[in-house]
Amino acid sequence: MARIRFESVGKEYPNGFVALENLSLEIADKEFVVLLGPSGCGKSTTLNLIAGLEDVTAGSLYFDSTLMNVVPAHRRDVAMVFQSYALYPHKSVYENIAFGLRMRGHPKDEIEKRVREAARALDIVPLLERRPHQLSGGQRQRVALGRALVRQPAAFLMDEPLSNLDAALRIAMRAEIKKLHQTMRTTFVYVTHDQAEALTLADRIVVMREGVIQQIGTPEEIYDRPRNTFVASFLGNPPINYLDGTLAGDSGGLRFERGALSLALPPALAQRLAGQGDGPSGRQVRLGLRAEDVDARGAPREGETLRGRISSVLPVGSDQYLGVEVEGATLFFRVGRELRVHEGENVALSVNMNRAQLFDSSSGASLLWQ
Amino acid sequence: MRHVGRRIFLFAASAVLLVYVLAPVAWLVSSSFQGEAEITSRPPHWIPRQPTLENFEAIFQARDKKVTYETRRAGDPATGGYIPSTARNLIPSMWNSLLVALAVVALNLLVAVPAAYAMAKIRFIGRSTSIYFMLTTRVIPDIALVVPFFLFIRTFGLLDHLGSLVITYLAITVPFSIFILVSYFESLPDELDKAARVDGCSRLQTMMRVYVPLALPALVAVVLFTFLSSWNEFLLALMFTQTPKSQTMPIVVASFASDFTISFAFINAAGVLAVVPPVLMAVIFERYIVSGLTAGAVKG
Repeated sequence: MARIRFESVGKEYPNGFVALENLSLEIADKEFVVLLGPSGCGKSTTLNLIAGLEDVTAGSLYFDSTLMNVVPAHRRDVAMVFQSYALYPHKSVYENIAFGLRMRGHPKDEIEKRVREAARALDIVPLLERRPHQLSGGQRQRVALGRALVRQPAAFLMDEPLSNLDAALRIAMRAEIKKLHQTMRTTFVYVTHDQAEALTLADRIVVMREGVIQQIGTPEEIYDRPRNTFVASFLGNPPINYLDGTLAGDSGGLRFERGALSLALPPALAQRLAGQGDGPSGRQVRLGLRAEDVDARGAPREGETLRGRISSVLPVGSDQYLGVEVEGATLFFRVGRELRVHEGENVALSVNMNRAQLFDSSSGASLLWQ
Repeated sequence: MRHVGRRIFLFAASAVLLVYVLAPVAWLVSSSFQGEAEITSRPPHWIPRQPTLENFEAIFQARDKKVTYETRRAGDPATGGYIPSTARNLIPSMWNSLLVALAVVALNLLVAVPAAYAMAKIRFIGRSTSIYFMLTTRVIPDIALVVPFFLFIRTFGLLDHLGSLVITYLAITVPFSIFILVSYFESLPDELDKAARVDGCSRLQTMMRVYVPLALPALVAVVLFTFLSSWNEFLLALMFTQTPKSQTMPIVVASFASDFTISFAFINAAGVLAVVPPVLMAVIFERYIVSGLTAGAVKG
């Protein structure tokens, strides 16, 4: 149906603002790709370029092998769901859903059939005669989805479709969108700044920052092997912890050191680092530890233990977050709630160094990828 | 107690305002049904004691009469003997006024709606400059434009032609119509524009099928504003029209007061006819001036 390919695409606005720089990306047919990043990172612009709502100012955009740069929005076979729903306020729910089909000249009975089908799938049949202002936020969201899926488009674009919903509804709709993707078997491009949405929905995640792609990968890749500190920080809750320090030792036994703290790097990583530059020893690095990659129960072992003073205990129902002061830095870890600890106590946590991230101190680039 | 005092004050103030606004209209209507003798009686009769339709009859029959200074003194019993020498021009001039006003309304919509949509929803270089530039044309008083307009109209051979009025009224009303519509279109969410285009609308279809229906209150405002502006316009019509062929209603009504003897009853009857079209317009369009149409378009 639709493979979407960006070749060195750039987008510069008339006022000189560069929203996208040299973006190359290939989205496979039937793939669910999530564009993830903070606001202003260019993810919505990317989506608008696919929809044809904004013009590409450099490079080429292809659907399959057709160059789309100058094809106007209404000639592209894509459907879009907006954060604000963007339902037509003067039309009934039925008319809202039917509008796209009408504009494309489908026969009346087919429109009727498809609108009813979509309404049934989304459980909004009783709402068909209502106007948008008579609906709740969740219902409007369903109508917006219905308006997109009734078209059976080649690509389905979603611009933060769930961010106006409350938390419980958001999780339910997330599941529904995932199901929709499985039943429709269409390319989905989904924009969000919510890492949880990205991790749940995506086949692949594209992390963006200031108009530049930081990393493209499956959710596991992005989470486990971030290419730089930006990607690492953007995913994970609570966010990844950083400790600046130096490497010491040689390929036989490389250690991360900061003050009295000394952590042994796994041999595989040590070997890889040994081949880089003038040798790893003495190199300034930033160690990244995910909140869940510690264990408070195991017996402390040399080279795998963090010792520090507990500065805060934050229970969050199933787990608790511990703020631990280690060598002048405060790190946050997630531990089971059965651990009975109090503020001001000392604690020893064993670290899963196989999952530790290591970044270059100055550039922030991951040393695991080099 | 303060509450009651406040209400009484508000009520009294509203009553005063109402009388101030409505009394002239009431007198206009009342006196148009009075004869020349009754209209000058003291104290004035707010409700005619001998109501008569003869002023109106005189207006509609004036066409078939040749009224000159010599003949009109012999005159018409209904109007107390004096109908203006230009009376026969009244009905044709109202027709002229109507034609001009309708043309101005139609062309205004034709030009202002796409212009306003483009300015509100399409980002192009010089967008805000063009809006401000257009608005500055509104601060120039009409009188300053009369001479350039006149030269322009004469060069194009449009003097004493309804076209001269249509062109000049458009020049005056279009910027303001665009201004009204731009602010209204801007208040409608941009996402509707995007949604419509993704749904398969061209720019023109987006405008016609999404923005125009939603902008109905603003469109009604534009229709009323442009209709009334050209219906009432006096200065330019006085400059560019010279014969009954192209004279509009305000010019002819004004000429009624330029004879040696003036029939106020007749003038007031003409005045009543002059307010009928605007009042009709207001009554017809009033029900379209509805707000809250956009509720529910976006989150909320």
